Amino acid sequence: MTDVLVIGAGFCGLYAAIAASKRNARVTLVASGHGGLSISHGCIDVWSSSAPSRALSRLKKTHPYRLAGKDALNTALETLDLISHDADYPFIGTLSKPTILPTAFGAIHTTAYAPLSLAQTGIQKNIPISIASIAGLRDFFPTLLSKNLEMNGYTVRRTMQLPLPGPVPQRDLYATDIAQRFADSSNRERISRLWRPRLAGVDRLGLPAVLGLHHSQRVFRSVQDLLGVELFEIPTPPPSLPGLRLENMLSDTAIKMGVDIILGSPAAGRIDHSGKNKRVSGVSLQTAGGEQNLDAHSVILATGGLLHGGLVAGRNGNIVESVFNLPVEYAESHQEWLKPSPFDEQPYEKYGLLVNSRMQPIDLHGDPIFENLFAAGGIIAGADRQIEGSRQGIDIATAQRAVEAALE
Amino acid sequence: MIRDFLAADQCLKCNICTASCPVAKVTDLFLGPKAVGPQILRFRHPDYALPNVGEEWCSSCGTCSLVCPHDVPVAEMIARMKERPTRKVPWRDRIISRPEVIGRFASRITPLANSLLKSPRLRSALEKYLGISSKAILPALARTNFKKALREYYVRTPNRLEEISRLTVGYFHGCSTNYFEPRIGELAIAILERLGLYVFLPPQVCCGLPLQSNGLFDAARKLATQNIKYLEPFLRERIPIIGTSPSCTLAFKHNYRAILGIDTEESRLLANSTYDFFEFILHFMPDELFRIKFRGVAARALYHPPCQLRSHGIGTPALTILREIPELELEVSESACCGTAGTYGMKSERYEVAYSVGENLFRKAITMDADFIMSDSETCRWWISKHTNLPAYHPLEILARSMGIV
Repeated sequence: MTDVLVIGAGFCGLYAAIAASKRNARVTLVASGHGGLSISHGCIDVWSSSAPSRALSRLKKTHPYRLAGKDALNTALETLDLISHDADYPFIGTLSKPTILPTAFGAIHTTAYAPLSLAQTGIQKNIPISIASIAGLRDFFPTLLSKNLEMNGYTVRRTMQLPLPGPVPQRDLYATDIAQRFADSSNRERISRLWRPRLAGVDRLGLPAVLGLHHSQRVFRSVQDLLGVELFEIPTPPPSLPGLRLENMLSDTAIKMGVDIILGSPAAGRIDHSGKNKRVSGVSLQTAGGEQNLDAHSVILATGGLLHGGLVAGRNGNIVESVFNLPVEYAESHQEWLKPSPFDEQPYEKYGLLVNSRMQPIDLHGDPIFENLFAAGGIIAGADRQIEGSRQGIDIATAQRAVEAALE
Repeated sequence: MIRDFLAADQCLKCNICTASCPVAKVTDLFLGPKAVGPQILRFRHPDYALPNVGEEWCSSCGTCSLVCPHDVPVAEMIARMKERPTRKVPWRDRIISRPEVIGRFASRITPLANSLLKSPRLRSALEKYLGISSKAILPALARTNFKKALREYYVRTPNRLEEISRLTVGYFHGCSTNYFEPRIGELAIAILERLGLYVFLPPQVCCGLPLQSNGLFDAARKLATQNIKYLEPFLRERIPIIGTSPSCTLAFKHNYRAILGIDTEESRLLANSTYDFFEFILHFMPDELFRIKFRGVAARALYHPPCQLRSHGIGTPALTILREIPELELEVSESACCGTAGTYGMKSERYEVAYSVGENLFRKAITMDADFIMSDSETCRWWISKHTNLPAYHPLEILARSMGIV
């Protein structure tokens, strides 16, 4: 019997498991597969506007941030800061001033906290930068990137392609392939010797994020010293190293703290009918061999929204919650789910579970459906996290609140 | 195959599998699980065979299927592609995939076989003529077979068990315990008996997993069918089968059905009745287990959960139990696979890649200054031990020590 059972291995679930473990709970995390971190930019978006703290206090009462409360967000950010320092993978930024970063396509990404290697220089309109791609790396185009940045008012001095030593690769390279080439210090020296002469006149260089998967902070510093220019990394299309580094940091921390992680087995909710109060007893896992029951005092659902498996849309226009079959708030008419432009606010993004301020899913009367079931992250209704730029902030604020309520 | 095609179309191309694949990460010779699995299936045609884009570089560790958030059986797809009617399987693969045949033959001449294995001349000949890397680990044979030594545990039919009133379990020892490491089986039985169980050895043959990994599906199916036939009468009496080698138990739980295509009532019964050793004692004997006062094992150790164990989808039950042992300082390996993945690391042309896959793990063991390494799979233990010069144990050996059995 575990104290807290977390379902979902994305950013939200991993954070919830660590937060519960920090409060000395026995924690088990189950997930049918990895979460979305390896396709993420690896930053902590809290709110996209220029002054998040003011914007947050003006939100609707049903917005996940309002329900979780400011304290939960602050506690979570502090906890994350501690974890990242322990792991030598520091984040920089504040809630009062946004950090501006370029995307791989030259769009502007406004975030709150970003890994040092992405954000140590930031980009500023009056300081010219250079952008390089690496020979063989797929899906990274410096010309496209710089033209788009220039449209946004930034100055790009040079774009270039940097070669890799050794034989020509047999296929397109992923960011993870190049990171492997940077893992070894003598290899780093070889690459830097090849690059240095090509960097005449460059003092700020944006590279695709390929500088190491493990001990990436060390790799970043050493490459920067070897090249003698200020570097910043730009997250690539998947697999994205900043996301993977964040994933590794969180799962390593969770394992170190004694969280039992069960990956690869989908979970089905089990309801406890024995007592007077409505409670869940845990889940049944579909393992390789067969079903296995896991019992828990409390369960935290961190399974994500419609794009992540926590909510599943049926062919007949219904949306169901995938583990406990909880009631979901959504528009009955399929026509209303999507707006024509992908850049519009999307109604489906706001679909999800209605919860109270203890993060318990509630019914139409506002009563908790199960007293020991909590929800966190994208499965909660009421936020368009894409447009708001609030994805990771909501993940950790609601996870923090859910953990506190589960262990009350 | 229709199921594969449907599942391939379920692939979102998110590349989460590519990001996690331990082989693609270290070599550009492998296109990665997404490209070799679901992506190549898009080029399917009813009249033509699927193109091969390097599936033999896949080590069959199963990580891709495990991490896929959209339930695409990537590893299973790639495994099945290895069964091509046109594919020429090298002699080497036909030999190293038959541990039982090798063991049976070599155990007749144990001292000679063991000294031959140490001969550099023979090893370079094996490399030159067969392509078995001279650096690969070919384990020494045990002096006595496990099965021979524990003859009194052998039970042919469930009728013989009728008198027994205790909870009864069958132990599937597999080839490595039988020929190379009988101590693992002896300790497993000792622990299970200490927990109050009645343990017997049912009739059994090699699980067939090495054959399957080498694309020899017909031969693997023969062994699978044989095992199902041997074990079925016990399964009908609801007797669980426990294994200490996670690759054998994975074959029973998953591969017979999902890769070899033996999806029958009996194979499902076998899957549902098979347990990893630690999975069983953690879930079915927790009171008996945690009643025992564990003795301290003062050591620093690295635990590596094998890829084959991860594919059970049961987490790391050994770790949960090891954490209860006083004075044992544990670190856990984050590596998805140690590299050797059964027979993969034995092959000359794969050896370097297999080594690179495990490099982070080896480095971790050395820099943490571990006294020893623990891993549930025999090939992982041999491989990690060789590359770190550290002793490697099955976690149950440490549990036995803590229970005062050794």
